[in-house]
Amino acid sequence: MLLIFAAAWIGLSLAEKRAERSAISKDNINNIIFYGLITFVIGGRISFILQNIPAFIKSSLGIISINPDMFDPLGAVTAAIIVMLVYGQRRGLLFWHTLDALTPFFAILTIGLGLSHLAAGTAFGKETKLVWGINLWNATRHPTQIYETLASFLTFSLLWFKRHDPRSGMLFLTFAALTAGSQLFIQAFRGDNTLILNDLRQEQVIAFAALAFIFILIEYRLKEKP
Amino acid sequence: MYTRTTMYKNQRIILYILILISGAAWIALSAEKTGATPSRNMPAPQAGFAAPDFTLKTPTGETYKLSELRGQALLVNLWATWCPPCRAEMPALEKMYEEYKDQGFVVLAVNMTYQDDPFAVVPFTQEYSLTFPILLEETGDVAAAYQLRSLPSSFFIGRDGIISEVIIGGPMSEALLRTRIEEILK
Repeated sequence: MLLIFAAAWIGLSLAEKRAERSAISKDNINNIIFYGLITFVIGGRISFILQNIPAFIKSSLGIISINPDMFDPLGAVTAAIIVMLVYGQRRGLLFWHTLDALTPFFAILTIGLGLSHLAAGTAFGKETKLVWGINLWNATRHPTQIYETLASFLTFSLLWFKRHDPRSGMLFLTFAALTAGSQLFIQAFRGDNTLILNDLRQEQVIAFAALAFIFILIEYRLKEKP
Repeated sequence: MYTRTTMYKNQRIILYILILISGAAWIALSAEKTGATPSRNMPAPQAGFAAPDFTLKTPTGETYKLSELRGQALLVNLWATWCPPCRAEMPALEKMYEEYKDQGFVVLAVNMTYQDDPFAVVPFTQEYSLTFPILLEETGDVAAAYQLRSLPSSFFIGRDGIISEVIIGGPMSEALLRTRIEEILK
């Protein structure tokens, strides 16, 4: 958790710098991230409660319990996106310019996420005999946490070279495509995937669909004027 | 006639198609042929793995072997009498045990006796009127197998013997316990 907070702080600093190039004020970037993070925390709890209403009817004090495990990450992300969109619209922020300004924040956050997986031993790999395997959960495993951290770092580095791209939205879409592509590749080495259709890894299928959608968006953006 | 822009667009589309075909091939190549998540058959103290087996005794000498409880929904709670959050969550554990035991829910409260006062355990269970099995861990082997990092630590284990959720620290609220228990009772 500390690694994620540290990543968020570094990402925010970079997003502020990027915002100047996108003609968005630092205050707006700070506010949109702040509201996003607050909604992420509250939205995650509310979504968890809504999915477990009978449990909370019987133990209503649990609503304000400090247990961090009563949290729905998908609901949290959804709530944060909605609030960020509403804030952006109310402030009249240009959608693609804002996403570009936020891209360094997202990119650093994914590096922090990989490091936090490594620290916690989650998102672990399947067994391997490769020399760079790491001993985790009673077996030598693919260091998938290191793979994802390196992939995120590489993505960030590539974005750095692309940071002067004048076409709005391209920085964010490049980040999204590289992230989806690297997940599609790395998930094959994970040892904790959910399987669908008997043997396919659900995470890979989602990454594949996301990648196809991002390609469509890139073409759509290239047709538009910057 | 192709313009330069059209050519670029066509090149990009060919690149997208090539990437997507490669992606689809990679998904097919890396499919899990066994049809099951690989971690399920290996014991480890992590969600998705089989719960490490152990055999421990209660203060009255009764023996419990984890693998013999397969088919029931289990909560293995590692605790100590000196640990404030462990004490705080005991009433909620007892309440949930009473409420769900008829549906096949069992709490195994494993006292870390090797780092606790053995004479404090029975008075503790009497003070909190605990009716679920209290097991004594006198060697540190179970703590090592479950890679104990913090007390309390709770492992929710499904009827198939697979760990569904690990909660490090506490105290757990009733609502949290209820959601997790109903999950493993399915």
